[in-house]
Amino acid sequence: MIALLVIHALAATAAPFLVRLLGRRAFWLLALPPAGAAGWALTQTGAVRDGHGPTESLRWVPSLGMNLTFTLDTLAWLMTLIVGGIGALILIYCSSYFERDAPGMGRFAGCLTGFAGAMLGLVTTDDLLVLYLFWEATTVLSYLLIGHKTTSRDSRSAATQALVVTTAGGLAMLIGIVIIGQSAGTYRISEVLAAPPTGTAVTAAVVLLLAGAISKSALVPFHFWLPGAMAAPTPVSAYLHAAAMVKAGIYLIARFAPAYSGLTEWKVTLLTLGGLTMLIGAWRALRQVDLKLLLAYGTVSQLGFISLVVGAGGHGAALAGLGLLLSHALFKSTLFLSVGAIDCRTGTRDLRRLNGLGRRMPWIAGAALLAGLSMAGLPLLMGFFAKEAAFGAFLLGPEYDAGPTGSAGADTLMLAVMVVGSILTFAYTARFLWGAFATAPRRELTEVFDAGPWLTAVPVLLGAGGLVVGLTATWIEPLLAPYADQWVAGDHPVHLGGWHGFNLALLLSVLTWACGAALFAARAPFESAQGRLPRTYSAEQVYRLAMRSLDRASVEVTGAVQRGSLPLSLALILIVFIVVPGSQLLWGGVTWPDQVRWWDNPAQPAVGLVVVAAAVAATRARRRLRAVFLLGVTGYGASMLFLLHGAPDLALTQILVETVSLVVFVLVLRRLSGKFPDDPPRAVRRWRALLGLGVGTVTAAMALTASAVRSTPPSASDLARSAVEFGGGSNIVNVILVDVRAWDTMGELSVVLVAATGVASLVFIGGDVHARGRQLIRASWERRGSYTDVGGAEGSGSRWLAEGGRLAPERRSTIFEVVTRLVFHTIVLWSLYLLFSGHNHPGGGFAAGLMCGLALAVRYLAGSRDELLAAAPVMPGLLMGAGLFLSAGVGLGAMLAGGGPLQSWIFDLHLPLLGHVHLVTSVFFDLGVYLVVIGLMLDILRSLGSRVDTQIEQQDAESVQVAGTHTESGEPAANSSPVREGPMGT
Amino acid sequence: MGLEDLVPLPVILPLVGAGITLAAAGHTRVQRFTSLSVVTAVLAVSMALLWATDQRGPQVVHVGGWPPTEGIVLVADRLSALMLIVSSAVTLAVLRYSVGLGRSAFDEEHDGEAPLPIFHPTLLVLTAGVSTTFVSGDLFHLYVGFEMLLAASFVLLTLGGTQDRVRAGISYAYVSLLSSLVFLVAIALIYASAGTVNMAILAQRLDALPPGTSLALHAMLLLGFAIKAAVFPLSGWLPDSYPTAPAPVTAVFAGLLTKVGIYAMIRTQTLLFPDGRLNTLLLWAALLTMLVGILGAVAQDDIKRMLSFTLVSHIGYMLFGIAVGSEKGYSSAIFYVVHHIAIQTTLFLVAGLIERFGGSTSLSRLSGLATSAPLLGVLFFVPALNLAGIPPFSGFLGKVGLMQAGADLGTPLAYLLLAGSALTSLLTLYAVSRVWGRAFWRAPEEAMAGSGPGAVRASREHALTYGVVMPTTVLVVVGVGLTVVAGPLFHITDRAAADLLNRSTYVQSVLVNSTADGGAP
Repeated sequence: MIALLVIHALAATAAPFLVRLLGRRAFWLLALPPAGAAGWALTQTGAVRDGHGPTESLRWVPSLGMNLTFTLDTLAWLMTLIVGGIGALILIYCSSYFERDAPGMGRFAGCLTGFAGAMLGLVTTDDLLVLYLFWEATTVLSYLLIGHKTTSRDSRSAATQALVVTTAGGLAMLIGIVIIGQSAGTYRISEVLAAPPTGTAVTAAVVLLLAGAISKSALVPFHFWLPGAMAAPTPVSAYLHAAAMVKAGIYLIARFAPAYSGLTEWKVTLLTLGGLTMLIGAWRALRQVDLKLLLAYGTVSQLGFISLVVGAGGHGAALAGLGLLLSHALFKSTLFLSVGAIDCRTGTRDLRRLNGLGRRMPWIAGAALLAGLSMAGLPLLMGFFAKEAAFGAFLLGPEYDAGPTGSAGADTLMLAVMVVGSILTFAYTARFLWGAFATAPRRELTEVFDAGPWLTAVPVLLGAGGLVVGLTATWIEPLLAPYADQWVAGDHPVHLGGWHGFNLALLLSVLTWACGAALFAARAPFESAQGRLPRTYSAEQVYRLAMRSLDRASVEVTGAVQRGSLPLSLALILIVFIVVPGSQLLWGGVTWPDQVRWWDNPAQPAVGLVVVAAAVAATRARRRLRAVFLLGVTGYGASMLFLLHGAPDLALTQILVETVSLVVFVLVLRRLSGKFPDDPPRAVRRWRALLGLGVGTVTAAMALTASAVRSTPPSASDLARSAVEFGGGSNIVNVILVDVRAWDTMGELSVVLVAATGVASLVFIGGDVHARGRQLIRASWERRGSYTDVGGAEGSGSRWLAEGGRLAPERRSTIFEVVTRLVFHTIVLWSLYLLFSGHNHPGGGFAAGLMCGLALAVRYLAGSRDELLAAAPVMPGLLMGAGLFLSAGVGLGAMLAGGGPLQSWIFDLHLPLLGHVHLVTSVFFDLGVYLVVIGLMLDILRSLGSRVDTQIEQQDAESVQVAGTHTESGEPAANSSPVREGPMGT
Repeated sequence: MGLEDLVPLPVILPLVGAGITLAAAGHTRVQRFTSLSVVTAVLAVSMALLWATDQRGPQVVHVGGWPPTEGIVLVADRLSALMLIVSSAVTLAVLRYSVGLGRSAFDEEHDGEAPLPIFHPTLLVLTAGVSTTFVSGDLFHLYVGFEMLLAASFVLLTLGGTQDRVRAGISYAYVSLLSSLVFLVAIALIYASAGTVNMAILAQRLDALPPGTSLALHAMLLLGFAIKAAVFPLSGWLPDSYPTAPAPVTAVFAGLLTKVGIYAMIRTQTLLFPDGRLNTLLLWAALLTMLVGILGAVAQDDIKRMLSFTLVSHIGYMLFGIAVGSEKGYSSAIFYVVHHIAIQTTLFLVAGLIERFGGSTSLSRLSGLATSAPLLGVLFFVPALNLAGIPPFSGFLGKVGLMQAGADLGTPLAYLLLAGSALTSLLTLYAVSRVWGRAFWRAPEEAMAGSGPGAVRASREHALTYGVVMPTTVLVVVGVGLTVVAGPLFHITDRAAADLLNRSTYVQSVLVNSTADGGAP
């Protein structure tokens, strides 16, 4: 079986290529796999009848209990024959159905072949999850097949409708499968059926399972998708919507009936819905004028009939159900294919326009007549015997077994439904045959075109097949009996075929024919009566309404929670922050400290107050510059707190960071308007204040409780000792940064690097930054040689700076230049000192890098961008890249040297001149840090400084021009900047 | 050199690579060669790590030789190794795709050529950040990993600096900084209460904390991760920031960033706070995330935005598995993470192809792609079905595992989640079938009629070059391949989940090894 499935899959994949190669003849090749499946099933007939059909298994996902297990029992055998045999014939039919070069034929052939394989898998698998797999495969393939005419809107929406409805049912079924499987502890169908689990959850699961079957088999209330799906090409309708896919639901019902048909929920669901479907489908079929739609509604009705019988359970009903299944597959595919032939050869399916086809297409007419008689339930055909058996199964009385429902009233009601349904069936069958083939005297005969032979041959074969099956019904019965034998047969079992004398069932059949014929005869008044009935909400309208409300709900929900507003997103986050940990703080029984030590030093609360006041004032500031300075106060305050806590190194770093931040802010503010653009209304500000207060309170309370529960001393308590012994340095902060947690530092270095390059890339938009940058640097190097030549007396005033002469006189400040000249080298030296002494004293690579960066900033501020180039004529990327390479390289190098990553070694060396040197290899790591930080500073100064200078100058030049030609002033400066206002303002 | 020496490589190789590519800015060939070889090496190392962790147990490195009480510990267990493999595999594909785009690619998006030189170093730092979070055995170091991700992703998001991207980037940066802040405060408080940030030691000490306070800390930590993972109602930022970025960037974001949050949640839920007291809350969050997310997807007209919403929605699935808290739940959640990283990345790359070919990702402007670009049709259809959880694809397998875990739990809420996940699956299918129906099936004339003169005809055949189609195809195949290897893969995730729930494996390997090599060098 697995081999057959693989062959199907390969054939489906190869189909597009085969079609390209062989054209329509490719369908012949593609018919081979399904034919092979049917043939293989025939060879297994004996084994299956004797109850030992073949089983194959392949492990797939044992963790999910999901394995490729296949087995052939009676039900699977019957379904395989139907699916394979009819599938092969329909593929052959396709070779005549399509135009020679129909578009999309390759894709169609692939999907149809794949579909045959999926159905084969569906009916033979013994694993629930694999069953679902094939189930969904048929859904998706039917989506592609129904939507075959992709450019037609109807065809697309019908495809989507079928997809949504059957997938919805399928997913319900999946939930059912999972619950049943988990309760049973296995997903093997045979094992589940052998010991069906019970319980409330399982009952619900069984109903969910039925939901899948009902949606697939188009029972009420999901019946509407099937007529809609008639947009598909006729072979698809014949195969998917008559013989195969819609039978999958019936198959599922039949599969689980032995285990669950005793459940009330099962019975009520299937008998009600099956009965309703049978009546509604047949009723609607009587109103159709499109032959295909008539058949579609007829199919809906028949599916209701079969589900009712199969779902009822019991020996008789089971046998009758299989008989119905077989006969329906044969006659309905014949009829669909006949309609396809008519459609192809006349160009219409409207029975009001067809006339005289009985004479012009005699073979098709004959095939359709045979099939129609079977559908109407006339003797000698399988349809008749199966219907007799169904009546017999539900009949009560001395010659019959007890009915399947267990209640006399329900049995009789169901019987009545079946009889009424059969009467309607007879009538619409007559309507079909009459409408398609009869000759009306006073109308023009329909023109008939020639078409390929198989368009006729296949329906004739199938129609004849129905007759053969009917004639041999008594031989077929024992082959189907093993399925029915899962129930105990009574004293008067029903039989398929044969002559049982004049009994009640026959009487009912005769009644059916009589009433059906009468109904057909009175079709004109009946139709007008049908038309006068008030129209109710159809299920399809409900579906459309549901989809519309889904679309509306999705838009509304999304509009409510997803406004694209940053303040809203942030507010939601903060509210969750207040609510979730906050409610735990209030009601969760957290531990609070017995007593709180508010400060160690009275200066701490004072500084703290200043910080808080500055922070609050910063949020209220309307001017950007003021906000920046207030922010600076909080930062310097924090460094003050560090200092008061006894952490000079941290304080130093923090002060440097604050200073650099201020410089950066000021550089950026040049390009922004003086005030914040947004001015939120008072209510909004109140909410924000409240939110801020809440977050602050929760955080503070969390800090209180967290520190109250400490039981173990923090890991840092030992660090002071091991920093010296193991890390070789007495500045604990530095040892942490470059040794203990150097791995963190390495990560943060990459953060710095990325941030710097990111900022630069945003500022330098357009043009090749790197080429331009290199050019400038080269020019600067070239000028370097000329500084000494020029001497101090050249230009306007004395030369304190390398490039001072290139600056406009009004922008120069001699005092600044002198100071810069005096301090620059000192600061750089100091930064080197900080770098190398950092391991034992306050300092380290980070602080040192910032210090050096500040020195560069001073040069830039005093002498503008050329001066910056002269001070550091390198690309910042090179500095940073080298720095990161060095730091990470130290890590990698340590590993190569046989230690752990970033392991450090301590060397005490005596060098000439320098004397005793205490070298810890982590200093190379720190050197990397130093380089990256300098690179960062350089990048910031180049982008936010020099580049923005250039932009401003260009703008000034432009606005002068604009002012020259127009009286109005140019655009506001901020608008043409690539770095724009954030969404906070809007 | 032992097997454990492999552990730092997924971090350190990309960092060295980032240094080289930055210094070599402008030398495109050097950059490409470095990046591709570094990421390939990381993939190879990760595979070796999976073998090592599966056969020999967790691999532990004490960075710099410091004992776990003081220094940083890097730990790779089965979960980490698996995550490393998937993340480096999709990064490699995305990198290959961006190389395939070529230097001119960014021109089409009116970016100029400027961003390209920094694309490689930034992507490598992103890779290093992702790896850092996966191998970190230290809570603070996890934070550092998040920072690397944040900084790199911010730069990638604003590549080119168009107004949309900068706006999206600012949104993203604010939310990410806020989540980092929450995370950082939580770390500080955990250190305050337990005196360490080493996760193995925390696993021992946190159990001893009073339950009330421990729950509050737990909630706060989880909150930080939930923002990163885009769990409703903390998910508002994601669909607003992702779709504007260039296709490869969005692809790598969609694949990796939220999953890092999920990874962190899995780690904390199992290692630090295994009592499961927040599971009910998480189940509700999972349900809402799924439903609200997928409703958002249904409402979208743009493929990239639609995909961003499905991304949020399917985070709900993973959260579902975590919240169930059983071995099956974690195993399926991990499986789903693997699946989702691969598929979501693929789909965003395909969206990039659609954009290149059709000139837009808007459904009202696209049409007829199935006819004009059948290959593109296959490349979209297969992962789309996979995302919607149609069998036999991996999305289905993951979903079944999650449903089984939920059914085992058996509470009414769990059944509600079963229904919710089925509904989400259906709506995902509906959302992708809308894309299919409109962009692929609809005739071009119809689109013209529908949207007036603005409609774009699909005509850019040359847009689908080998360089971009090949990596996408490979990813599609990898996604399908997950189905084939589902058996062994689930076997590994089962064992990974068992490791997670039985914390002692992790804790022992961190603490025991420390005595072996914890001495001075």
